[in-house]
Amino acid sequence: MEYIIKNGIVYDPLNGVDGEKMDICVKDGKIVESVSSDVLEIDANNCVVMPGGMDSHTHVAGPKVNVGRTLRPEDSKKDIFNKKGLRSGSGFSVPSTFKTGYEYSEMGYTFVNEAAMPPLLARHTHEEFIDTPQLDKAAMPLFGNNWMVLEYLKEGDFKMCAAYVAWLLRATRGYAIKIVNPGGTEAWGWGKNVHGVDDPVPYFDITGREILEGLAKVNEMLGLPHSIHVHPNDLGHPGNWETTLASMDCVKDIEAKPKYGERTTTYYNTHLQFHSYGGTSWKDFVSKGIETAEYVNKHDHVMVDVGQVTLDETTTMTADGPMEYDLHMTNGLKWANCDVELETGSGVVPFIYSPKGPVYSVQWGIGLDIFLNINTDKVILSTDHPNAGPFTRYPRVIAWLMSKQYRDDWLNNKVHAWAKQKSFVADNDREYSIYDIAKVTRANQAKVLGLSKEKGHLGVGADADIAIYEIDPEEKDGKVIEKAFRYAKYVLKGGELVVKAGNVVKEVYGNTIYINAKVDEALEEELMKDLRTKFKKYYSVNIDNYPVSDHYANSWKAINIDATDIK
Amino acid sequence: MELILTLKKEIMVPVEMDKILPEKVQDLSEEEIKSIELPQGRTTITVGELFDVEVKESETPRLVIKNSTAKLKRIGEKMTTGEIVVEGDAGMYVGVEMKGGKIVVNGNADSWAGQNMKGGELIIKGDAKDYVGSAYRGDWRGMSGGTIVVEGNVGNEIGEYMKKGIIHIKGNTGIMPGIHQSGGIIIIDGDVEARAGGEMLKGAIVVNGKLKEPLASFKFEGIVENPVIKLTKKDNGMPITGRYYKFSGDYVNNKPKGQLYVSVENNPDLR
Repeated sequence: MEYIIKNGIVYDPLNGVDGEKMDICVKDGKIVESVSSDVLEIDANNCVVMPGGMDSHTHVAGPKVNVGRTLRPEDSKKDIFNKKGLRSGSGFSVPSTFKTGYEYSEMGYTFVNEAAMPPLLARHTHEEFIDTPQLDKAAMPLFGNNWMVLEYLKEGDFKMCAAYVAWLLRATRGYAIKIVNPGGTEAWGWGKNVHGVDDPVPYFDITGREILEGLAKVNEMLGLPHSIHVHPNDLGHPGNWETTLASMDCVKDIEAKPKYGERTTTYYNTHLQFHSYGGTSWKDFVSKGIETAEYVNKHDHVMVDVGQVTLDETTTMTADGPMEYDLHMTNGLKWANCDVELETGSGVVPFIYSPKGPVYSVQWGIGLDIFLNINTDKVILSTDHPNAGPFTRYPRVIAWLMSKQYRDDWLNNKVHAWAKQKSFVADNDREYSIYDIAKVTRANQAKVLGLSKEKGHLGVGADADIAIYEIDPEEKDGKVIEKAFRYAKYVLKGGELVVKAGNVVKEVYGNTIYINAKVDEALEEELMKDLRTKFKKYYSVNIDNYPVSDHYANSWKAINIDATDIK
Repeated sequence: MELILTLKKEIMVPVEMDKILPEKVQDLSEEEIKSIELPQGRTTITVGELFDVEVKESETPRLVIKNSTAKLKRIGEKMTTGEIVVEGDAGMYVGVEMKGGKIVVNGNADSWAGQNMKGGELIIKGDAKDYVGSAYRGDWRGMSGGTIVVEGNVGNEIGEYMKKGIIHIKGNTGIMPGIHQSGGIIIIDGDVEARAGGEMLKGAIVVNGKLKEPLASFKFEGIVENPVIKLTKKDNGMPITGRYYKFSGDYVNNKPKGQLYVSVENNPDLR
């Protein structure tokens, strides 16, 4: 199928295209120089054309998402998806798989990265991916509390750790090293947590700092496309901003050496909003969003996503088990918590970010403080779906960023006065341009994930994942902005027209992308000896039944990494 | 206007009736009413196919369903005004989320009657099954107003997560009436199978019959005569007559304010 997208105003930050009127040609799923005369024409007059949206941090598939669905029938009831010709679905904050795919697609998104995959339960994640249409997918297995990792790093055996990381990425078909509350979730297995980066984990006697440094080093030894993807210690605790900066700081001397893609950073701090809290308790709680944003501006090795609170009733879910327990003790609502053998844990708690709540309003302000004070090349728009709000609220976040007037409308009329007193949103006049929005919703993601060769831009040779929004680039009416980005006029996925006027018109199934890293055979053999012992002694499954087999995806896309130089 | 629907014949697959509210049909002609499509299983059926339709003059918006069976679900869902009279049984979810008006069921009701009710009046002349006046499955925000009266017996877990309003059961109840209750008053004239007020935080439960298995996590506060139930300080209170053992609880919660009144006369073993 060939298409030509005519007369659109194109925003393509990775190629430096900032609002030029040009035509885009599509053939066989790729963007090409020219097409024949007999093609389908898409009229993009008065429309903004961007690469397909990419979400680098979202929780859309896997066991804890499903626990969220099971735990919250009342959330399912709130939002029903029922459109002719499509699979039905339900759920506002934890939508079912098909609804997830369709709604991302309606918003012009074409790629999502599941942010936390428990390795032992990787199959569940991939099973849900199979039923998540419209998107290319990847998932990050959890490493930050894994016994193998903790032991190798404690011994200082980076080579074996690298071999293990490579093996686990292959076995679980994972994409990158995810670290959640390094050491903390393991400590939770002992009924404890760790506080700060220098608090040792019980029994393993290793600190968060050593885990971060070690895994960052291993990441660059292997040359993975993405950097370590970190949810640091002390999430959501007043005063945690110092821990956040200490975590960023401990890997600053490590050099980025990706063997695939164009990443230049070595540290990805996810949902920075939850990690930019000042004060000592909820009473003297203040925003440190400007401080953390400034650290990011000054340091080249860090990339962040924000985790903007959208002030909705939502469902929190994370591998940070102790944090979810704290949250349940705070709001008293139902909760789930789980331990995953040698690897990780998790928790789920419903949460109501009421705009009238003083603390929630400050959290809202902190997210915006980060957005409004940071270099837009280093920040990514996210709500840590569904933790700070569902992904369907991205358009509203875009509207807050693009329109000071809309932001002020919320600040003055909807949210609690603490947002004005304890954050700096009220004083900030900055407004994002559409070019900035294109950076924070697709280009930056592509670059930091190491997928910028094929995704996140509109240059010749890129995947034809394209979103077309009917909006005037100078638009300042928040509601108009929100609507335009919620329902794209057209979306192309892999060169096929999948959304028309905000409705999914074609169901397509994307690739599941994973890392196939090869290490030296002798090293791998040594690793397997260790692994077989561990599995025999501690795991509830046999090692041969552990790896995810080939039929767990609609189609795989392996990124091959040659790391045989580690000896 | 008064709309009278008479079910033509027994149905196997349940039909959802939430589109037919007295307030919604006021401006419709008989023909328009007959062509309303109601969900039945995976297909739909029109009102005309299912019922004999009769329209009468009336000052208040009214709906009468004759020959009704437990296969007619969601009668009066979200209704705000007017009156519904059900001649026969009502299916699941009668009066769900109703805000105002009145529903009278001259028969039995299935489970979930008056779920998440916000206001108005729901009267069931026969029995009702489980979860009368409860919250939606999974929700912790239940009934927030209105009155439910059941003249017969009811099933388990009535008034689950109830926040406000009154439930009056004239017959017996199954286990755990007022589970997780955080407000409102439940009055039970008959016997309670077991565990009244499990995990309750606030509100009051009155058991006039026998409470067969009380919970150990309630604290005995003494014997009271003709007490006035006050849920807040400003509350004028609701007087009840008789001699009662008064308990507070449920002490599985932190600082609970729930009140449980159990008839002295009918519970000699509680002495």
